[in-house]
Amino acid sequence: MKDVLSKLRRMDWVLSACMVSLIVMGVVFINSAGSVRPTDALRNLWRVHASTALAGLAVYAVFAFLDYRKLLDWGALPVFVVSCALLVAVLFAGTDRFGGRRWLWFFQPSEIAKLAVILFTAHVFAAPGNAGFRGFLAGAAILCGPAALVLAEPDLGTALVLAPSVLVILLAARVWLKGLVTLLAVALLAAGLVLWAVDRAEREPDPDARAKIYRFVPLRDHQIKRLRVFLFPETDPTGAGYNLRQAQIAVGSGGIWGKGLKKGSQKLLGYLPPSVSMNDFIFAVLAEESGFMGVLLMLALFLGIFGPGLRIAVRCPDDRGRLVVIGILTLIFCHLYVNVAMSVGLVPITGLPLPFISAGRTFLIVLMAALGIVQSVAIHHANPAVEDRDAEQPI
Amino acid sequence: MKVSSWFILSLGGVYLLGFLVLGSALFRLQYEDTSEFKADLAQQNTRRIRVPGLRGRILDRNGAVLAECRPSHCIQCSVEEFQRRGDATNTVSAVEEAVDRLAATLGVARPARLTRVHIERHVKQASAMPLMLWEDVSDETFARFAEHAEEFPGLEAATRPERTYPHGALAAHILGYTGRSRPDDADSAHFFEHDMRGREGVERYYNRFLSGVAGERKVRVDARGFRPTKQREAMMEDDLDADVAPSPGLDLRLTIDKDVQAVLEAQLDGLTGAGVVLDPRDGAVIALASAPAFNPNDCVPRLTQEVYCTLTNAPAKRLQNRAISESYAPGSTFKPITALAALANGWLPDDEYTCQGVYTLGNLRLHCWDRWGHGPISLRTALEKSCNTFFCNLGTAIGTNAVIEAARAFGLGSATGIDLGGETAGVVPDNEWKYATFNERWYPGDTCQMSIGQGMLLVTPLQMAVVAAALANGGKVFTPYLFARTDGQPPPKPARTVPYASDTIELVREGMRDVAERGTGRRILTRWEESEPGSFKKRRFNLNVTCAGKTGTAEIGRGETKRKNTWVIAFAPFESPTVAIAMIVERGESGGSTVAPRVHAVLAHMFGETEIAAARPRGTTLERGD
Repeated sequence: MKDVLSKLRRMDWVLSACMVSLIVMGVVFINSAGSVRPTDALRNLWRVHASTALAGLAVYAVFAFLDYRKLLDWGALPVFVVSCALLVAVLFAGTDRFGGRRWLWFFQPSEIAKLAVILFTAHVFAAPGNAGFRGFLAGAAILCGPAALVLAEPDLGTALVLAPSVLVILLAARVWLKGLVTLLAVALLAAGLVLWAVDRAEREPDPDARAKIYRFVPLRDHQIKRLRVFLFPETDPTGAGYNLRQAQIAVGSGGIWGKGLKKGSQKLLGYLPPSVSMNDFIFAVLAEESGFMGVLLMLALFLGIFGPGLRIAVRCPDDRGRLVVIGILTLIFCHLYVNVAMSVGLVPITGLPLPFISAGRTFLIVLMAALGIVQSVAIHHANPAVEDRDAEQPI
Repeated sequence: MKVSSWFILSLGGVYLLGFLVLGSALFRLQYEDTSEFKADLAQQNTRRIRVPGLRGRILDRNGAVLAECRPSHCIQCSVEEFQRRGDATNTVSAVEEAVDRLAATLGVARPARLTRVHIERHVKQASAMPLMLWEDVSDETFARFAEHAEEFPGLEAATRPERTYPHGALAAHILGYTGRSRPDDADSAHFFEHDMRGREGVERYYNRFLSGVAGERKVRVDARGFRPTKQREAMMEDDLDADVAPSPGLDLRLTIDKDVQAVLEAQLDGLTGAGVVLDPRDGAVIALASAPAFNPNDCVPRLTQEVYCTLTNAPAKRLQNRAISESYAPGSTFKPITALAALANGWLPDDEYTCQGVYTLGNLRLHCWDRWGHGPISLRTALEKSCNTFFCNLGTAIGTNAVIEAARAFGLGSATGIDLGGETAGVVPDNEWKYATFNERWYPGDTCQMSIGQGMLLVTPLQMAVVAAALANGGKVFTPYLFARTDGQPPPKPARTVPYASDTIELVREGMRDVAERGTGRRILTRWEESEPGSFKKRRFNLNVTCAGKTGTAEIGRGETKRKNTWVIAFAPFESPTVAIAMIVERGESGGSTVAPRVHAVLAHMFGETEIAAARPRGTTLERGD
């Protein structure tokens, strides 16, 4: 009993509170976005989100009270293998929805894979001796296996957020540091080149010449289309640029104080496509109805996760704990950044949910489990000696 | 330890940078550029609907309503209430089903224009507008719909203005009628309601005056172009821009006197012809009628093909305004003009000519209506008796140009400029005209024919009314007008003044007075009535006013198609005329017997008549000749 109490005391309550607040925000805006939908099932999706969150709290508690070191020792490899197996399974037995095969029964294996890859990478590179080029190759293999499977669904967004999380872990663990930095620079350069090539091709009036340029761009048609819309949103305001344009109008017209809960006209009139307004574009609904103030509140709540999260990482004397925490935080940050930036036109449209707020059961549970592991680091990182010192001199 | 705290802290710095980027982008969008996005929002989700102004009324000179708008009951469909998932055809089917169900309930037929294609086009292109189902339904149907309205959500009653002419065919040719059309500035808004537009008559001539200024109604539309349902509309808080209220059109007050118009039309009832009553003091049109007439109520809201055919079929040609757009030979009513021309060119009032019943010029033999001849007569008597040979001689004596000039001085041969469309100019022939038209030179006989108002000379009844008015007022030719002057507006100036001395004109006026009192046109002044049916005893009624006039009987065609168009021009009171009339009846007997009593009736209505005691009918009841 004394053990439980001391664990509760060491838990980071700011982080928990901010997480719960964000989930409440999610429930509120999923309810708002769902209110214009035609079927009861869709209108009541906020209940699903709330009940998932309740279940998620249990998961959160379990992972928080479980020592992360034991978890990684026993679970990192099996979870990674199982999630890879699920990724393979979904390609054969999954359900097609919204132009991708991402669902296996009731969950999305790719969401689980995000956490599994991070845990496994952290577990592998916290161990001494994996710092060389061979370590990098191992890391690349850990990343690329699941990423390739995810891309095959296809789900570019997930593949894209997975990479930075793994990279951050590799960088933090100083795996083949010089080479990695060089590679990163090259990758950035390549991305710039692709953008430049698309830009160049789109400015090309001759279709043959354009096709010739596109032959060297390793992207699929719909991805090129998204890049094009990102670069030239004005060229196609009714087609592929429509969602972006409508999201921007929703966000911009929200103003400082917003239009009021459930009163967003972009959502009510269906300009913001109802099929995406509850998940990938829920930020537009939030920004339209609660305005800049609501957006600031949301960003502040996210700061309330990253701040304590990073503090936990700094305080953790253990490499594994540090790597797990920064991996998880980077994953969340990438989702947040890409989702919001896409709604305002800073990055090309990518199908990524907004953490804690977008409707999506698998992702919510995974996120809560991930934060549970962060809490577990907060609770369990200290060795008994440190724990005693803490007990004598509370900070 | 491999993972340094510095790395973690710098990672935190990267996060913070990301937050700043997002925060500043959102600040720009939601604070700095928010008005721009709000404008974009309004632009994409509001539709402007052009709303026509209420059309003004048309009044007669005393304020009696000749044309106005009445509320017309319609049943329309708010298509958004029938919006179904899937593509538009599901919505169209839902609308169709409701329409058919309502048609069965009301016991009325589904309108023919309401085809599936029509509904589909509306749903796809104008879904922000209500779909008109039944226009102008009867009160009974409307009441039945009100009873069942709850069973038909999405179908609703509406009232909109419809043109109506409360006096039916009265003054139809003056008023014209309205149709519905696409407004000229339809492109200024996303959608428009069909506008009433004047098609004929003053409705057309003063269309802009009557139609007012269109306003704009703003409605919100969703991404599919439908209006949001009421429930959703209630959820939205950002207001639409204010509507622009339409300004109603102005009331048009005419110079027409409804009662005189009615009498004039009654006199022309069943005949083919026209009549015009002018105020000779300024050219105001008191009445203007063309027979046969039409009922403009048959032409609203739109003129259908069948109705149009019945209105334009020859020979009735009901839609044609014979008073201004048909030209006739004026016959003897032209003689006062010849007389004026002669007096101005040296013919003395006392100069005599001996009528022998026939006038011979080369191989032309022109008979006077009195085969035995009138004997030696002066100009004034010749006018009274309407002696053809006298005027033939007169025209030959003074020359062609003098007659032509006189005709043109009175405005013949050119449109009067009345504020009605479709006026014809008529013809005052001359050498060039004849050469251009018939490729023939001008013969002396043409002058002869023209002097007695026959031959190639063609005038409209309105032009003859202007001639009558000019003779009445001492030579001032006014432009006839229908749009009543407002108080304080200066009286119109005459378009021109005929170049004849006032004593010359007076002489002709005296001659015309003789015509009306005892000459060929004596039935203008006097009405004989059998005291009992079949009795020879006649009662005699005189106008309570002095009057002057001239009859005319123009013979047209030869053989089988030979017919007479009969005329009268007249004015009253003689001393200071306030009324000038011209009337023509096609295929009449003679001006004196056919038209003069009708002119009498009009004047009797305006001035009254009194029975003259000890009246003895003069001669036979059948008047002869002109």
